[in-house]
Amino acid sequence: MVGFMIGAVMVVQDWSRFHDELGEKALLLSESVAITTPRAMLRKNYWGLYQSLKNIVARRAETGGGHEVITAMILDAEGIVQAHLQPAENPLGLIFSPANKVEEELLTQAMSASKPIVLSRGGFSEAGFVEGVVPFFSDQKYMGVVRVRLSVARLYEKAKSSALIVILLVFCFVIIGSVLGTMVARRMVKPLTAVTQGLEAVGRGEMTDFAPVPVKGGDEIGRLSITFNQIMSELAEKKMLEEEIAMSEKLIALGRITAGVAHEVNNPLAGLLNCIDTLQKHPDDQKLIDRYLPVIDQGLHRIKDIVHNLLVGLKIEESDENVNIEHIDKLKDLITAEIGDKDIEVIWNNRADKSLNIPAKLEQIVFNLLKNALEVIPDSGTIIFNMYQEGEFLVIEVSDNGPGIPSKIRNQLFDPFFTTKPNGTGLGLWVVYRLVQSMQGIIEVESEKGHGATFHVAIPVMRAKAA
Amino acid sequence: MRLICVFLIFWITPGFAANAEPPIRFGLTAVILTENIRFLDKWSQYLEAKMGRKVEFVLRRSYQDVMDLLDSGAIEFAWICGYPYVQTRKPEFLQLMTVPVYRGAPRYFSYIIVPHNSAYQRVGDLEGKIFAFSDPDSNSGFLYPLSLLAKNGDKPETFFRQTFFTFNHTETIEAVAEQVADGGAVDSYIWEYLAAFKPEVAGKTRIIKKSPSFGFPPIVSHLGVDANTVKLMKTTLESMNQDVAGKALLAELKLDGFGHYPDSLFNDIRAMAKSIQRSIPHALDVTN
Repeated sequence: MVGFMIGAVMVVQDWSRFHDELGEKALLLSESVAITTPRAMLRKNYWGLYQSLKNIVARRAETGGGHEVITAMILDAEGIVQAHLQPAENPLGLIFSPANKVEEELLTQAMSASKPIVLSRGGFSEAGFVEGVVPFFSDQKYMGVVRVRLSVARLYEKAKSSALIVILLVFCFVIIGSVLGTMVARRMVKPLTAVTQGLEAVGRGEMTDFAPVPVKGGDEIGRLSITFNQIMSELAEKKMLEEEIAMSEKLIALGRITAGVAHEVNNPLAGLLNCIDTLQKHPDDQKLIDRYLPVIDQGLHRIKDIVHNLLVGLKIEESDENVNIEHIDKLKDLITAEIGDKDIEVIWNNRADKSLNIPAKLEQIVFNLLKNALEVIPDSGTIIFNMYQEGEFLVIEVSDNGPGIPSKIRNQLFDPFFTTKPNGTGLGLWVVYRLVQSMQGIIEVESEKGHGATFHVAIPVMRAKAA
Repeated sequence: MRLICVFLIFWITPGFAANAEPPIRFGLTAVILTENIRFLDKWSQYLEAKMGRKVEFVLRRSYQDVMDLLDSGAIEFAWICGYPYVQTRKPEFLQLMTVPVYRGAPRYFSYIIVPHNSAYQRVGDLEGKIFAFSDPDSNSGFLYPLSLLAKNGDKPETFFRQTFFTFNHTETIEAVAEQVADGGAVDSYIWEYLAAFKPEVAGKTRIIKKSPSFGFPPIVSHLGVDANTVKLMKTTLESMNQDVAGKALLAELKLDGFGHYPDSLFNDIRAMAKSIQRSIPHALDVTN
């Protein structure tokens, strides 16, 4: 656009400059004729006058590159033709008669000129012309006027061809510019598009099957591509490692459970087998029977507990049954019954909305935590149960004033079969942990040695209810 | 300018040893095509070789200019028109030397010509039109058309709307061809010459009237020139048709040769001039 404007301005300027120059040329030619005109006219040397007009045509033809003389004439003071380049149409000795309105106007202007002037008509066109008008005098008496008219056709052609060249050049520049621009933009955008697509893939989580962005050149984009590829390959490696770790953790956990089950079941089994062996050897010894049967019973119950806990934990984990919150309050009686001969006070604070429905899993959580608290308190103490709503969470707090949890075992607290109690299965807290996790809840332990412990559980029940 | 060119050519012409004698000066008028400088160069070389003296052609615009040169003795010979020849001079300063022979006779015509595409058929059609004369001292280009008008009691300034002199038969033909003039009077020798060599010009004109024949424009010598030189020049010119180089030059001139003819050859022109002077005496008082 700017190119076109500059080109147009150049063409117009060229044109007006050439036009002015042509006007001056016409004037110069008229003046050269006018010098000899008065003398020749006085002598009636009409042939000489005609020849002076012919000469300017011949001279312009000879010099070449000149501009065509359309017409030229010498008129006397009355407008009578003294010489005309087209003598047949404009005979000598007759009043010059203009062919049309425009010619009439020009004649009036020419005849009233008291000094040399340049007239022009037709402007910027093939038919345009400039006319040099020079009045001539003899002894200060006005004798007539010389008019030489030059065509602007050649000028027009010149201006047209230069305009064409300018347009062609601008056109070429525009095409070359846009082609180059597109190429450069493509070169720049293509790697960026690849990086964007890569990032989108990351967003979708497809990191491992990510195809590296092609790297072209060592510019900023090239370096960006390299860095991006590095990040991507590191991310992919990290993810693979994480997956491997998760897998091996699962295997480890499974191994631990298997080992735990084997160990926990194997221990009483050895004792049970011993008892049975002894009883088989002495089938009629009532004393032995009375002594070993409770041991066998106890051992089998322990195995049953372990299996039950494992099964319960896994079974409840899968359940999405809902119960009313008041079911929780029944646990108070259940746990009070378990206190036995210990001197333990249970403080119960359920401040949650009574109409609230909660997942059935929560019962198991609360029961396990209460049971755990009950077991860690040696002889006497207090268990505090708090339940309340905080935002979308239902918060459960179970505190005891037992011996507290040493910091070195805090990491193993929720591991299966980890227990500090002589008769513990090590599965109670593990089940709690798994249930909390299955409900996207949070579990925290707060403990100070000698000052008991508090388990905080927060479950997003409101969201579940709303859903 | 033309004169300077001629001089230059003679100055630089080699091969002729410097001669103590002054050059012979030969005046030319529009009775022949004086534009052909190269021809004049060859002709002067021919004459120099034949005569053993340097010959210079001197060109002037009008017949009058050449007559003035002859009068003052600035030239020794001149090729003039029959009309100036028959005019009375007091005292006389020239004499008839030789007359060109054109198409078998020392005679030519005056042609009245018009543009070839015009409707004019006779001289009467040119009434109120523009007419081009050649030279006020020309027989064919001025005296004869005057005599044509005089026969009907007409005068050029009243019969024609405009008249002008071109001072050159060739230019009269051009003026008519380009329709600057509606008619013109020219030397038949020049018109035929142009018809052969410049048909694009002569072809644009058409002859509507051919005069009776007149004595061909003669070559005269100044009375002051010594008899030997006159004789030498006369013999040289009249024997041009006897050698190859001379014949070639004559062929270029479209002439048969030069010959000795009596003064009476120009009686027709003389009579015509006298009759014009009686009928329209001021017509010949042309100044330019």
